[in-house]
Amino acid sequence: MKFYIIFLLFIISFFSCKESVKEKSKNLNTEASKLVSSIQIKIENLKDSKSKEIIVVAHRGDWRSAPENSLQAIQNSIDLDVDMVEIDIRETKDGHLVLMHDDTINRTTTGKGYLKEWTLDSLKTIRLIDGLGVATQHKIPTLQEALELAKGKILINLDKSYQIFDKCFEVIKRTGTEDQVIIKGVKRLAEVEKEFGQYLDKVHFMPIIILPNPDAKEIVDEYLASKTPPVAFEFVLKGDAVKEIMQEFKNIRAAGSSIWVNSLWPHFNEGHDDEKAVLDPNIYQWYIDNSIDMIQTDRPKLLLDFLRSKGYHK
Amino acid sequence: MKNVTFLILIVLLLVSCEKEINGNAATLKAPITKTSKTILEQLKNPSKDYVLVVSHRGDWRYAPENSLQAVKRCIDLGVDIMELDVRLTKDGHLVAIHDETVDRTTNGLGKVSDFTLTEIKKLRLMNACGIPGSIQQIPTLEEVMILAKDKIMINLDKTEGKTVREAYEILKKTGTVNQAIFKGNDTYQVMYEKYGNLMDSIIYMPKLWYKDENIATYIQTFEKTINPFAYEILFDSEEAETYKIIPEIQNQKDTFLAIALWDELCAGHTDEQALLEGADAAWGWLIKNGANAIMTDRPKELIEYLKGKGLRN
Repeated sequence: MKFYIIFLLFIISFFSCKESVKEKSKNLNTEASKLVSSIQIKIENLKDSKSKEIIVVAHRGDWRSAPENSLQAIQNSIDLDVDMVEIDIRETKDGHLVLMHDDTINRTTTGKGYLKEWTLDSLKTIRLIDGLGVATQHKIPTLQEALELAKGKILINLDKSYQIFDKCFEVIKRTGTEDQVIIKGVKRLAEVEKEFGQYLDKVHFMPIIILPNPDAKEIVDEYLASKTPPVAFEFVLKGDAVKEIMQEFKNIRAAGSSIWVNSLWPHFNEGHDDEKAVLDPNIYQWYIDNSIDMIQTDRPKLLLDFLRSKGYHK
Repeated sequence: MKNVTFLILIVLLLVSCEKEINGNAATLKAPITKTSKTILEQLKNPSKDYVLVVSHRGDWRYAPENSLQAVKRCIDLGVDIMELDVRLTKDGHLVAIHDETVDRTTNGLGKVSDFTLTEIKKLRLMNACGIPGSIQQIPTLEEVMILAKDKIMINLDKTEGKTVREAYEILKKTGTVNQAIFKGNDTYQVMYEKYGNLMDSIIYMPKLWYKDENIATYIQTFEKTINPFAYEILFDSEEAETYKIIPEIQNQKDTFLAIALWDELCAGHTDEQALLEGADAAWGWLIKNGANAIMTDRPKELIEYLKGKGLRN
């Protein structure tokens, strides 16, 4: 009898331990499979304009926790499970593509002067500074470094990239990130086809439409009717006459293109900006109600939390 | 023999369970409500199982530095002390701003001292990305103290030798004299010549700079006069006199505030190191060396780290 009890106790304690071990390994497995498939899900979602899932785009990386346009900012966005990171691309004096927002390096680095007057070698000797103006250990990354880091992990949007479309494409091709990258520009279809038409079926291109623009609908229709309809349109909703084009958003989504609107500042979104959302996250409901499915934000974590709570993000 | 085995098994089982139960009990225990009073008590009598978190200019990654939103963020995060910079406007109002000019942090240009309060209130603060998207204004010290009242302490910077008297008037008016910690680089003699008995009415935290030669005398004079209960200690390396003097501050049972912002202030044990090489190498090192308060640019991460170490009980 005693033996029996001992045996029973053994079994119980064994099971109670085993259960917790199993639990842990299960978590690890789901983590691993999540990593493998998450970029595929992100790419599929980018191509599917009818999906309910909203794409969250982090402006200049997650610049709150690392210098803007740094590799660390991209890594932080990956860690946050943000869908896409927006970065700014400029050319150095010796023709290399690097991440930099302003035309000078004054605001974001320990150096001074116009970026185009610096060679890549000398740029690599200076440091990026943080939001208080203090030097960090981070350096200005090249587009190549950024795409290598992002590959298989996060989507990328290249701003200021239109003028250097062909050079950007070269790096995209070299790093094998064609599926993950969006180049964007403000020109109409005919001009884009003339200048960079050969690339349009090889990489995602997103037209930007800045309102007020009386031809907005016509521009959209041209693109939708083209050989390679764009994966998305970016709308800058400035001015009073935006209602008309916003009524088209649902149709544009149905026709196969996503709608990108920035939540950064109030004049991009009829006053539904990130700073208001900090006080009341329900501000973001406006985007969902208006068929906007790509949001570029300065508050990626806040937006993700809101979307998840409403079932608009995994 | 069988009985013994049986007993051992039961004990083993109990022990393995107990760990679990203890863990649950710790999370169930109702937290002691933190107020500015309990924070001050901690500052006066530093205990081994609590490290005070001092947030530099608010949580400037989350809200514009030195803004009311930054104060609120500190309160929400559970920060103990927010560091705040104050300067005088042309018409004698104390406002919260770090630089001498409004250029870096607002959408305006010019010296703070050339603006009246009405004029400076028209400006809008920029966020840390340099973007004028914020709807925040430069707050007055009065607005900050009203928001912070009874909740957190404020560490006032840029007052010493200049605006202690003006700041004290605001603290009296808002009933927050016990919530503000003044800091400064001057010796007691210099401060006393400027402010006289006012030095006895305020909470004053001297800064110990590694560049100062007579650090021991500097401390002794303060100890014999206003007897501060906290010191900000800055050391660029372990060779610095200010580093070697830490045990003395500990013997006095005073709070040692370490500044984890930049390499030269904490012998390289910075927030940045905490993120890149792990928190133990940075914040952990400071605590091991006696720090019982840490000023940080990463308040959220520091609080999480300290909680994990059982240093926020």
